[in-house]
Amino acid sequence: MIPAPTDLVIRHAHVLDPGTGLDGVTDVRLTGGRIAEVGGNLRGARELDADGLHLFPGFVDVHAHWRTPGREDEETIETGSASAAAGGFTGVVMMPNTDPVVDSPVVVSGLARRIERESRVRARISAALHVGLKGERLTEMRLLKEAGAFCVSDDGLGTASAGILRNGMTYARSAGLPLILHCEDHTLATGVVHEGVAASLAGLPGSPAGAEDVATATALILAAETGATTHITHVSTALSAALVAFFRDRASVTADTTPHHLTLTDDLVSTLEGLYRVNPPLRPDADRAGVGEALRAGVLDFVATDHAPHASEEKELPLEEAAPGFLGHETAFAALYSELVLTGKLTLHRLVEAMSCAPGRWVGEGGRLAVGETADLALVDLSERWTVDSGTMISRSSNSPYLGRTLTGRVVGTIVGGELVHDRTGAKLGTRG
Amino acid sequence: MGVKSFLSLEHTNREELRGILDLARAHEEGRVGGTLAGKTVCLAFFESSTRTAVSFELAARRCGADVISLSDKGSAIAKGESLIDTVVTLDRLGADAIVLRHPAAGAASLASRHTAAPVVNAGDGCGQHPTQALLDLYALSKALGGFDELAGRRVAIIGDVLHSRVARSVIPAFTEAGIEISLVAPRTLLPRDAGAWGLPVLSSVDEALDRGAEVLYTLRLQKERMTGALIPSVGEYARFYGVARRHLRGGTLVMHPGPVNRGVEIGGDVVLDAASLVPNQVAAGVPVRSAILTVATGAAQRVAA
Repeated sequence: MIPAPTDLVIRHAHVLDPGTGLDGVTDVRLTGGRIAEVGGNLRGARELDADGLHLFPGFVDVHAHWRTPGREDEETIETGSASAAAGGFTGVVMMPNTDPVVDSPVVVSGLARRIERESRVRARISAALHVGLKGERLTEMRLLKEAGAFCVSDDGLGTASAGILRNGMTYARSAGLPLILHCEDHTLATGVVHEGVAASLAGLPGSPAGAEDVATATALILAAETGATTHITHVSTALSAALVAFFRDRASVTADTTPHHLTLTDDLVSTLEGLYRVNPPLRPDADRAGVGEALRAGVLDFVATDHAPHASEEKELPLEEAAPGFLGHETAFAALYSELVLTGKLTLHRLVEAMSCAPGRWVGEGGRLAVGETADLALVDLSERWTVDSGTMISRSSNSPYLGRTLTGRVVGTIVGGELVHDRTGAKLGTRG
Repeated sequence: MGVKSFLSLEHTNREELRGILDLARAHEEGRVGGTLAGKTVCLAFFESSTRTAVSFELAARRCGADVISLSDKGSAIAKGESLIDTVVTLDRLGADAIVLRHPAAGAASLASRHTAAPVVNAGDGCGQHPTQALLDLYALSKALGGFDELAGRRVAIIGDVLHSRVARSVIPAFTEAGIEISLVAPRTLLPRDAGAWGLPVLSSVDEALDRGAEVLYTLRLQKERMTGALIPSVGEYARFYGVARRHLRGGTLVMHPGPVNRGVEIGGDVVLDAASLVPNQVAAGVPVRSAILTVATGAAQRVAA
């Protein structure tokens, strides 16, 4: 639950928002859940000494699986939102491939009520594009929207036939709902890892990059044809990114990629560990680099984590039998800061834009640090080095591909509506008597 | 007493190969025996198998071990017990070695992370089948006059490399023994990045012979892959990738890990021809697996001492 807002002054933080151009040490006053003042020498009843820390607009993640309803043993709205908050995320879009699938107004309204009670961050609901995510019958999109759905998605299924997808996109447009599309052609994606050198040598069934590219091309062509507001999620190949670039001015299209596709490659599958199975699969370095360059250049608009918790019994299996998916919220910023910013491949400005401003614009809330805006913020220590450890995960699951890795940069505080919903600031929060 | 798992042969060097083959010969000639007396060998087969299971069981018994056999029928495996739980159970029951057959690549290495007992991979998915490659090497070296006769020989591996765990163990082991390998298969039956092995890819058995192949190592083509999308017909496959009598000239040898589809991978009149090492490969199973179990359990050090 988002607590009632009270005044808070964050002092001496390095405030950075590429959207508003803020970049320097200053103070920020939060009043009534909004940003009331930005400037020097602000004082307040409650003060947070943020000396040495960076303050960004809160991150927004348009792709998360909180496993509710149905697999609350893996994640709940409470644990998923706490995990998001621990990663600096103030806004999240929940994916519909739950059990039951989020394909009826009653499930949407039930989820909306639970979000209000249990979520620490602003959670939005993506309903299913087709009933049961089976790629056959359209869902009642206008009723879903009335019940509280923010968008519709085929995530968890992948691409239905082009004809069925076209109808769904056309109808979604008339219902006024944007689409989040998971582009994967099932006639090609028959394997469990990327079809490349590691899979060839290990004897693992591979899915070619073309399984994604063919489906991405289909989705983009249909986006241009139908005029639907289309977001292509988890782009993992250089060719799919180039296709998005080609359609940038021909369709209402945006796209994201994930921290793991930006930082990890398919050589990890030669460990044969079920942990490393994910959809779309980890790709070779050329794709990782291509997707990274596309993010840098703005061809890919932003980052989304595809946070996908799984119980240990679904991951401690041979790769072919393991469930696909990685945790994402808690490591997203640190992984990207360590692997892209500190190596000079991406500026900190662009990373903040890709995690806050751009996805904030897409959902229409958050991602801006300016007077009058919602006080959704992330406070980050760029110097803290920490080792990813299953024991300290806030998510109910622990299937992070970064387990055991030491990363640089850690979220120490997350503010939603002016209140700290994640707080590792320790003694820095003081009350002036 | 050090134990040693046999998960793959990708990092097994020439001297280790020679050592196992020498020990297998000692077993075959009756110079060593009882190496596993008092030990318990567990066979956990999550996928059906006849010759591999029988050959492991015989090998373990001939070495004096107690044998516990779990198959996919009528055991906890059939009841859906997970791989890890089965392995932990066998470990706690006091297994001195676990022989594992499983339909998924990597199962043996996963199992080995959950037991102190050595794990012998008896075939996992399309991944590895190290004991098959070792007995192949044994049968071939015996036919050629010894381990040192393997170096410089030319072996063509023919057929469904894509789905073959045998090929994935034979390629590194034969290469380490100094054998020059070529691959003969239609592109639909090769892994997409087969080039990573750095081996020539040839288009027919005839071409392999023209390039000097002395051994034709054919791979099994599963029935469900014979018709449909991967190859157009058995007839076309047999014409270009099948070994026929006309290919047997000047001492050419023929191998196959079994079971053979007669008339597909090998002509029916070739399987039991003098040029065929197929019966020798089967015969090598028991002594080679005896040697492997002896090394795996650490008993080989006693033999040497």
